[in-house]
Amino acid sequence: MNTAAWPAGMAALIERLLAFLAQDGCGDAEFDALAAALFALQYEHDEPYRRFCQRRGITPRRVAGWRDIPPVPITAFKAATLSCVPPPDCERIFMTSGTTRADTRGRNHHPSIAVWDRSMQRNFRRRFMGEHDRLPMVLLFPGEDELPNSSLARYLAQAGRVFGAPSSRSYVTTHQGLDADGVCARLQEAQRAGEPIAVLGATFSFAHLLDALAGRRFALPPGSRILDTGGYKGQARELPPDAFYAALADAFGVPRERCINMYGMTELSSQCYDHGNAGVPSVKSGPHWLRTRVVDPLTGRDVPVGERGVLAHCDLANFNSATAILTEDVGVAVEGGFVLLGRAQGAEARGCSLAVQEFLEAARA
Amino acid sequence: MMLRWRAGHLPGPHPAGLRWHTLAFEAHGRRAEIEVPAPAADQVRHIARGVREAAHRHLRQRPVDAVIRTLDQAVARLLDPADPWRKQADDLLPIVSGYDAEMVRLALTGYLHSFRAPQLQRFVAEDFPNPKVLDGFQPAVKGGAVRAFGPSLLAHSWAGNVPGLPLWSLACGLLVKAGNVGKLPSAEPVFASLFAQLLAQIDPELAACLAVVWWKGGDRGPSGALFAEADTVLAYGGNAALQEVREQVPVSSRFLGYGHKVGVALVGRAALDPQRGPVAARLTAHDVARYEQQGCYSPHVVYVERGGALSPAAFAQYLAADLQALAHRHPRRALALEEAAAVAAWRQAAEWGGHAPALILGDEQSSWSVVVHEQPQPLAPSAGQRCVTVCAVDALDDVAPLLAPHAAFLQTVGLATTPAELYRLADMLGAAGVTRIAPLGAMTQPEPGWHHDGRFNLADLVRMVEIEGAAERAADALAPYAQELR
Repeated sequence: MNTAAWPAGMAALIERLLAFLAQDGCGDAEFDALAAALFALQYEHDEPYRRFCQRRGITPRRVAGWRDIPPVPITAFKAATLSCVPPPDCERIFMTSGTTRADTRGRNHHPSIAVWDRSMQRNFRRRFMGEHDRLPMVLLFPGEDELPNSSLARYLAQAGRVFGAPSSRSYVTTHQGLDADGVCARLQEAQRAGEPIAVLGATFSFAHLLDALAGRRFALPPGSRILDTGGYKGQARELPPDAFYAALADAFGVPRERCINMYGMTELSSQCYDHGNAGVPSVKSGPHWLRTRVVDPLTGRDVPVGERGVLAHCDLANFNSATAILTEDVGVAVEGGFVLLGRAQGAEARGCSLAVQEFLEAARA
Repeated sequence: MMLRWRAGHLPGPHPAGLRWHTLAFEAHGRRAEIEVPAPAADQVRHIARGVREAAHRHLRQRPVDAVIRTLDQAVARLLDPADPWRKQADDLLPIVSGYDAEMVRLALTGYLHSFRAPQLQRFVAEDFPNPKVLDGFQPAVKGGAVRAFGPSLLAHSWAGNVPGLPLWSLACGLLVKAGNVGKLPSAEPVFASLFAQLLAQIDPELAACLAVVWWKGGDRGPSGALFAEADTVLAYGGNAALQEVREQVPVSSRFLGYGHKVGVALVGRAALDPQRGPVAARLTAHDVARYEQQGCYSPHVVYVERGGALSPAAFAQYLAADLQALAHRHPRRALALEEAAAVAAWRQAAEWGGHAPALILGDEQSSWSVVVHEQPQPLAPSAGQRCVTVCAVDALDDVAPLLAPHAAFLQTVGLATTPAELYRLADMLGAAGVTRIAPLGAMTQPEPGWHHDGRFNLADLVRMVEIEGAAERAADALAPYAQELR
């Protein structure tokens, strides 16, 4: 970590941020104040972001609270280097998956990974661990050493390291894929010992595991829990959420209330969780340092309560790139958080004019 | 206030147990529930056979001029603003399509001009030098005689929300005296229904040769039944939808697919002087705004030649100002979330993509966007909804190579240039895959008798039956008055 490359004031802001994360909650004014301070830092040192704001006539003087901060579309993380610190001086750079061409992957730069780590741990402990300090964990995702640029790999590795009992480990490698026999043996053992266990991983890894089980069922001890994340992201096999959680509960004997879905993205430094998936779609919410608006994707204005829009998050832990980001995730604001309804799919042609989506598909073919 | 309207057209008594499905629409603060007949597979089969039978009985012997007369009467009714049928269309179409009411009214009237008797005659003459081949055997130049038979049953799979579009294929089907069964598009089930119902009032015998029904897109029960009965299937839609239709058409039947297209405009130096430049921009804005670029003929990219009095960037400014003016006169239709997201994504790509960020005219609150590129850009459709790219080129000659890789998606080019250039560029553009060169301002209004996507509207539908000259001579030999050669 090369703190010499950090702009003036960043170290102090990080200290302030870490203290803020350690609080038990926060008031609106506190949130707004820190959001405005981080915006000022980014406006000054994050050049593409500054130009983005200038084109919209927004300056730090015009930002009184988090709602005034223009959210950056996630596309910008692919096209530009959104960072107050030169990339070589950043401790970690997380990249989005989904394409093999490195230059079109979204990148989020972390000058110090301490903030991301603190954000992950504070919220994970509160939203997933329940009454446990540690739990044996079965991780269904490759390790951090294999995927150093994957925020999900770090997330799960850190879950295992900080909150996992000593037996915790990953059962997936990029080369060999899922070790379904290993997972089964481990779950069998937990079942025999009557010791609660946690299974965590990418949603599609669970889908593969369910396939591998081929109807085989476990009755994991009470207190066991499951965490899936990421949805299917274009994987061939797509189970509707209700069927997916029914299948999980059935295969592992973990009630759906303890099947937690985590919503996170490379472009953020914090995660959102639901309170189980007894009913779907579940209500998700972030920690006190993340706030979410549901907006019209074009105008950026809040949609009326109860109407569909895309999610715009203000994540204070994203102190270096952009605290406010505009996602492509469709959702509805509800009491206690938001409901996720999937991605804003390319609009279908209404007339006989060629739609962008069809054009791109043809170009790929 | 909620409007309810019964769409579709079924000749004869409705099949027992026919289901009706309600499609709900809301726009401009008004709501409409359109009930569409949703026959099951066996009912579709029954309807299709009835229509084919009626066409065989009533239509085959009817001279094409008589068909034209009926169509002309129906169109005259729809061109009369005081006529109740026209009023019905003016009332329902803006709610169903979401388009500005005045825009729909103007566009529909312009469109219907193409279906009056003289224009329909031109339609026929374009494909058949001797239109009487549609009525009976006519002498062939090579000897013998030919007659054109339309399909016994022509199935139409309509798509999209551009009002009136189904009339092209429906009129063609009737002109070649086919029995016609049309599947309504869910996005605009009104116009085709209204036209069929109007025909039923004017000429019940002709309307008996026609049915207009609906099923949910992708429902292979009724569609399979129809396509199996039809000897020609004409379908509009995206490639995925066309693929699905084609898979269901028996290999022995004819499939005619009209896919989605992207249009471009080319503005040459000659049109970029201080007087003509602003006019060209205004005409281009009209083409962009008409039906929110949802037509296959709508422009998405405007290639503007450098070296005129008006620079490409200045042209873009005029275009932006005209789009702003049109936004007041004909407000853009309200966007669904997915459409707003698509427009946002297109603007974001312009703002963040590429090495030289583009200039974007119009902000996120505007109901239009003009993106200006100073470097030639490969062809790409915009998000529609009055989003258009202005791209500077050193010469209009540079455009055809940019279009050629996308030949399958090309159709209309709006071209503003000198007569000599018109033909030279048309050669290049035609070779690249373009099928229609139109003037700016009329891109969205093809001429009567145009070759839709480069095809023959009527000739593609018919089967030519010929009596060979030798057969005639052989018959002569068998005539009772035949004389043996001595």
